[in-house]
Amino acid sequence: MTESSPLRSRLRTAALVGVGAVVLASCAQDAPQDTWDPAGSEAQRIHDLQWPIFMIAGIVGLIVMAVVAICVVKFKDRGQPIPEQSHGKAWLEYMFIALPAVLLAGIAVPTVATIIELNDTDDADCVINVTGQQWWWEYDYPIAGDGSICGYMPTGETGTIVTSGQMVIPTDAKVVIRGTSRDVIHSFWVPRLNGKRDMVPGGVHTWNFNANEPGIYAGQCAEFCGLSHANMRMEIVALDAADFQSWIDNQLEPYQPPEEGTLAAEGEAEFVAQCARCHQVDGLTDADGNLVVAHPEDQVYSGAAPNLTNLMTRNTFAGATWDLLVEDCRDEVWDAPADEFGPLYLEGVTDECLNETQLKQWLRNAPAMKPMYTDAELLEPTDGLVRGMPYLALSEDQIDKLVAYLLERK
Amino acid sequence: MFTTGTKLLIGSAALAWIGAAVYGVAQEGALGTIGLVSAAVALSLLAGINTFVRDSNVSATDTESFETSAAAQATARNSLWPLLSALGITMMALGMATLPAIFILGIVVTAAGLLEWLVQGWSERASAERAYNDEAREVLADPLELPVAGAIVFAVIVYSFSRVMLGMSTKEATVVVFSVLAAVVLAIGTMIALKRNISTPVITGVFSIGIVAVIAGGAIAGLNGEREVHEHETTADLAEENECGPEETHADDKASQTVAAKSNPAATLIFDGAALEIDQAGDDGNSETLTLPRSNPSNIMFLNESDGEARLVLELHPPVDESGVPISIERICTTLVEEGGRQFMTAEFDRPSFALEDEGVAYEFVVAGTDASVEVVVP
Ligand code: HEC
Ligand SMILES: [Cu+2]
Repeated sequence: MTESSPLRSRLRTAALVGVGAVVLASCAQDAPQDTWDPAGSEAQRIHDLQWPIFMIAGIVGLIVMAVVAICVVKFKDRGQPIPEQSHGKAWLEYMFIALPAVLLAGIAVPTVATIIELNDTDDADCVINVTGQQWWWEYDYPIAGDGSICGYMPTGETGTIVTSGQMVIPTDAKVVIRGTSRDVIHSFWVPRLNGKRDMVPGGVHTWNFNANEPGIYAGQCAEFCGLSHANMRMEIVALDAADFQSWIDNQLEPYQPPEEGTLAAEGEAEFVAQCARCHQVDGLTDADGNLVVAHPEDQVYSGAAPNLTNLMTRNTFAGATWDLLVEDCRDEVWDAPADEFGPLYLEGVTDECLNETQLKQWLRNAPAMKPMYTDAELLEPTDGLVRGMPYLALSEDQIDKLVAYLLERK
Repeated sequence: MFTTGTKLLIGSAALAWIGAAVYGVAQEGALGTIGLVSAAVALSLLAGINTFVRDSNVSATDTESFETSAAAQATARNSLWPLLSALGITMMALGMATLPAIFILGIVVTAAGLLEWLVQGWSERASAERAYNDEAREVLADPLELPVAGAIVFAVIVYSFSRVMLGMSTKEATVVVFSVLAAVVLAIGTMIALKRNISTPVITGVFSIGIVAVIAGGAIAGLNGEREVHEHETTADLAEENECGPEETHADDKASQTVAAKSNPAATLIFDGAALEIDQAGDDGNSETLTLPRSNPSNIMFLNESDGEARLVLELHPPVDESGVPISIERICTTLVEEGGRQFMTAEFDRPSFALEDEGVAYEFVVAGTDASVEVVVP
């Protein structure tokens, strides 16, 4: 057999291309959900554990492959007589049991220690309640006994903050989430900050986050949860102390109705009529001055819809799947260096930066954008309640007004 | 001329061809016709092969062996399976007119009958030797028949037992009867174990009598009906009757038997005799209020560390209708929890706290008959 055998060289090319593809894939630049790129102390712990284990497993794997290859080549059938068949070699067998046992025991010790460390909820600096539902995450910030929220004392008014999609946390703080679900099992996963934690209905499951630097950390639901599982994303936004304080204060600012006579004011009336049965806007009052209380529990199967009080302080929507910012503005915030990130994020969505196209598309026909169970005729198994936001048959005129109103929610 | 298998295949193929033609003309459905034609082609092919290999006994060209081949030999023996299949088909027909359960049972019986028939038919042609054929049948059918038969017998015994147990007039009678029965079983077992040379027929006899007795007992008890089972009041009844006070009620009897999941609660509320303390993952005892999500059941653990019994009550403040009547239950509670005892309570809040403010009320956990309380904030 010669070197230039066409089959051989073709096989070699194929193998090279395959290996090359794998190697190149590991150099991906725009990989916001990279487990090998920890950005917080919990993820670092996991990284410190998985890296050596991966090495050990890799070395063992290589040895096994090499031995198999040697056997294949050396003992290939060349017509030689079959060697004497003997059975069992005690010392070898003992070794094959002892060696893996020692290896596994060695791996088990740091693994168990890490698992225990990762689950320790003592000495939390900040507690956030996280509730998953098809197909978005809700975050609410409980008020501690001393009046602080997530470790920070509000400067002005106080109250509970409810947001969705993007969870805002302070940097260098041990943030403990208490998570649960309103419908099926979801899993909270922001790879650069920590591993996965399942959120099972009926139970409360804790998980810790501690981001080293300001920035946006992307994640996604990691437990198949229905039609739009792939569109159930989330982001953790870390802000430094001063910026986080401004964020808290801004979230708690009392409701500001739109100025009379503006498009947004018409939008407010439209919102009360069309949207407020599902979406809460804190402080919103109807024409008679009564507080408007949303009642999603008799509209939506999970019993909840995102709180829109400060919609435009976040920069993604509908399960953090679409951007509220146009591409340029988005890149500016997402790619900002850590020390410039905070102020950019706090600006929220400005008139020039609003991604009007997709927001309008959402209001025009949400289920067309994000697959959901909203067909009134197919909702028997859910007692007639929708899963997700239904099609509302709004006119373009209504949509313009609503967008003007929503743009002021920050 | 034609072997049995060939006849079957030729017949099926012919039927499929006719079916395809009829369906194609009558229904004009392309998909169905294609399916039937495919089946017909496949069956014709199989029929051809089978004709050639004469039910895989001898080749069609080997004319000399025709007479001596197994296929030419065996005459079918008497068999129960056609009867069972017929029974099954009758049950299916009956089931269609009466109960779906009978229909399903009919399907099962028919399938079982046909399968057994198939195996028997095959085994009888396995060779020209009868003993060998019987063994062939057993090898194939036993691994299936024995476990199924065992399961059926077992199910009948268990069901009969349960009927007898439920048919006893009191719980005490059940205990006595079954203790005696267990002792008898043990005694017989011991005897058999000690007397090694007991003959098989004797053992078979004893077991048969036992099984017949159990089935008969079950049948009689089943016809007599169950004894009245007392229904225990629960805290739900208490809530309904607005009886969540500190006094002991009928629902508190044997309260420690209340079963509930006890892991991953939203919070544990600890009562020390004077106040309620919140214990929640993440905050080290520095909360004064409990923040629980809206419209989602939250599980709260109540831990009574006082030195008396205590009951945790949750005021739900439901909305009222036009005439001022609450639209749902106003409060829920645990049973009276003994000293050191704990109990789960599941609560769901449909309105956010700020919606209650206008009415001047708030969600609140209280310990009945004391001042201990914890406010719940629902965002
Ligand atoms: C039947 C209840 C219902 C109604 C009515 C409704 N929505 Fe929604 N809406 C939802 C649900 C549920 C979601 C979450 C969907 C998801 O992300 O999967 C949602 C999501 C949204 C979002 C994204 C929010 C975020 O934080 O991600 C916006 C914006 C929104 N709705 C606007 C509106 C407007 C404006 C109206 C009135 C025209 C309206 N909705 C009416 C149920 C409703
Ligand atoms: Cu999910």
